[in-house]
Amino acid sequence: MSGEPVTGTEQSSGTRDTRRFVWLLDPKLVTTAIGSLVVIVLAGLVQVSFGAYTMSIGQAWAAVFNPDVIFNQQAWHAFLLGGEMPEMGKESLIVWNIRLPRVFVGAIVGMNLGVSGAIFQAITRNELASPFILGVSSGAGLMILLVLVVFGGLAAFLPLIAAVGGAVAFLIVYAIAWKNGTSPVRLVLAGVIVGTVFGSVQTGLFFFADDIGIVQSAIAWTTGSLTGTDWEQVRMALPWSIVAILLAITGARQCNVMLLGEQTAKSLGMSIEKVRFALSGVAVLAAAASIAVAGIVGFVGLIVPHMVRNLVGSDYKKVIVGCLFVGPALMVGADVGARLALNPVQIPVGIVTGLVGGPYFLYLMRKKQNMGEI
Amino acid sequence: MARNTTETRQRNGSEEAVSNESAADAIDSKQASELSGEDLVLRYPSMDEPVIDGERLVATPGAVTALVGPNGSGKSTLLKGLAKQLTPDEGTVLLNGRDVHSMGTKELARKLGLLSQESTSPESITVEDLVYHGRYPHRGFFETTTEEDNRAVDRAIDLAGCGHLRDREVGSLSGGQKQLAWIAMVLAQDTDVLLLDEPTTFLDLHHQLEVMEIVETLRDESDITVVVVLHDIEQAARLADEMVALKDGAIRARGTPEEVVTEELLADVFEIDAEVDVIERGPRVTPLRARHDDIDREGGDAEEAEGSPPEVLEAE
Repeated sequence: MSGEPVTGTEQSSGTRDTRRFVWLLDPKLVTTAIGSLVVIVLAGLVQVSFGAYTMSIGQAWAAVFNPDVIFNQQAWHAFLLGGEMPEMGKESLIVWNIRLPRVFVGAIVGMNLGVSGAIFQAITRNELASPFILGVSSGAGLMILLVLVVFGGLAAFLPLIAAVGGAVAFLIVYAIAWKNGTSPVRLVLAGVIVGTVFGSVQTGLFFFADDIGIVQSAIAWTTGSLTGTDWEQVRMALPWSIVAILLAITGARQCNVMLLGEQTAKSLGMSIEKVRFALSGVAVLAAAASIAVAGIVGFVGLIVPHMVRNLVGSDYKKVIVGCLFVGPALMVGADVGARLALNPVQIPVGIVTGLVGGPYFLYLMRKKQNMGEI
Repeated sequence: MARNTTETRQRNGSEEAVSNESAADAIDSKQASELSGEDLVLRYPSMDEPVIDGERLVATPGAVTALVGPNGSGKSTLLKGLAKQLTPDEGTVLLNGRDVHSMGTKELARKLGLLSQESTSPESITVEDLVYHGRYPHRGFFETTTEEDNRAVDRAIDLAGCGHLRDREVGSLSGGQKQLAWIAMVLAQDTDVLLLDEPTTFLDLHHQLEVMEIVETLRDESDITVVVVLHDIEQAARLADEMVALKDGAIRARGTPEEVVTEELLADVFEIDAEVDVIERGPRVTPLRARHDDIDREGGDAEEAEGSPPEVLEAE
């Protein structure tokens, strides 16, 4: 049409494969997944090989692939359900009980943040949305400070309280934005309002912190850190993450339709407010699960969906699945830097993701003409 | 049945080929649907004054009804009211006698399709994927696409004449090509009633005619009830079985194009002096000059009735 010559014969129609999971075999998606897995495995092996307890790389890898652990039911029972730890060698114990779980937690956090960010970007139809755009981080941050500074006795429940604080802040944002329904802009603005107020109170609370230890702990939580995570964190985050990720994958088609704009989605018969709230809920669940174990890790939820979209296109089924690989790759990779770069001092992983994320956005800004709308 | 479809595909799914048994059944079983709005009072949430204040509109079943009127006259608003995009303050919209507000959103979307004025989509989505989104109301939450979906998509792409664009990314298309893709999407929705909001605005002449031809095909070869908002009164006259002229949210005239497109109406509704010749293709309008008589009754009303900045009306 439009004057250009119609090239070739008309496309043969109806060649579409209708099998349910055939899109998973998309070459770009497969390449992305494999590339990410390579990064995860390499970063993971670096993580288990180095640390305070010196062992040779050979020793470390032998411990990782130690069949006595991998095929030991009691060991997995101990890891995943918190049972009695079986006897194992010192290297195996260090690798399997201290170094590997941290890699796993990193991977879980990366998945959650990637998926959460992807969903929020679809809901707001804005590429610059992050998991924390609807007040989740400010709510969690405020609760963290409150617990550390005011209610020290509740410190044991800090992960849970932080996650709940994030979810409550999200509900407040939604309530503020609601007026005969919501819109992306209203939601984002409400998020800014809640974020500003909560952020101020949070900063104010820093003044009342008695000693430097509390301040450092608060900073670790509010910038996101994987220091000291072990199987307990895996057990805490894994069930919620599985639920959130399954829901996200089933919701991917709704995201796709939502990307066509509110009017079109409505005229296609989508109950837009219900779907938007449900999807937000899933995204908040994923974000809260990651906050509970790692604090507020910035930038991952923002850049991972970006990278994935650049790699696999804008189909949300592929974007969500891609985030399940690229998120962990970024997170586990960044944690190598956080843990080993300034050895023996460990820095919060959120600092590293921020350092990586900034330049990546600069690159995007130079490369792409128009950023913002998906 | 599956075999039938395969043959259809090989023959490039032309109109005749598509009407195999099942499709023919589907068309037979469909009675042309009637869409009517009774005593509609429509208003945007941000406004005090209603845009449409108590109007009645009946779209003749199986025919094309064109809404015309100047900017801000409430054409698009009326269409949104009919499509349940706006909830009327008063009045009801009936689809085959049933209140659309008593219908589920998906149920309504299987019967009534709306093509909005400005549609946006991700750049990298292919035309085919976009058209498949038109099947959204026909699919359950966990359902994958069915043969019926594939047939409807093929038929829609064929009817909209964008088969050669099928695998192109929407972001790479021209405005006119995009519009064809969007029309294919709303056709894939396979509804009995189709509402089109200024489908030809901003298109070059070639694509304007393409879009007109699609609507003509719908009018001549199917029972679909079409309501279309058009800026171009000549186009509307050519396309429509029935025309409705609006000004300031009130219906000023309705009837066949010959009845509606008159010099008096153009002066009244559009505030222009024009010559209308009736030729075999319908009324032909030659605009002469804009009328500036501010003391004119209509002009005075218009300023007050709109109440809010005209751009708002336009943007909505």
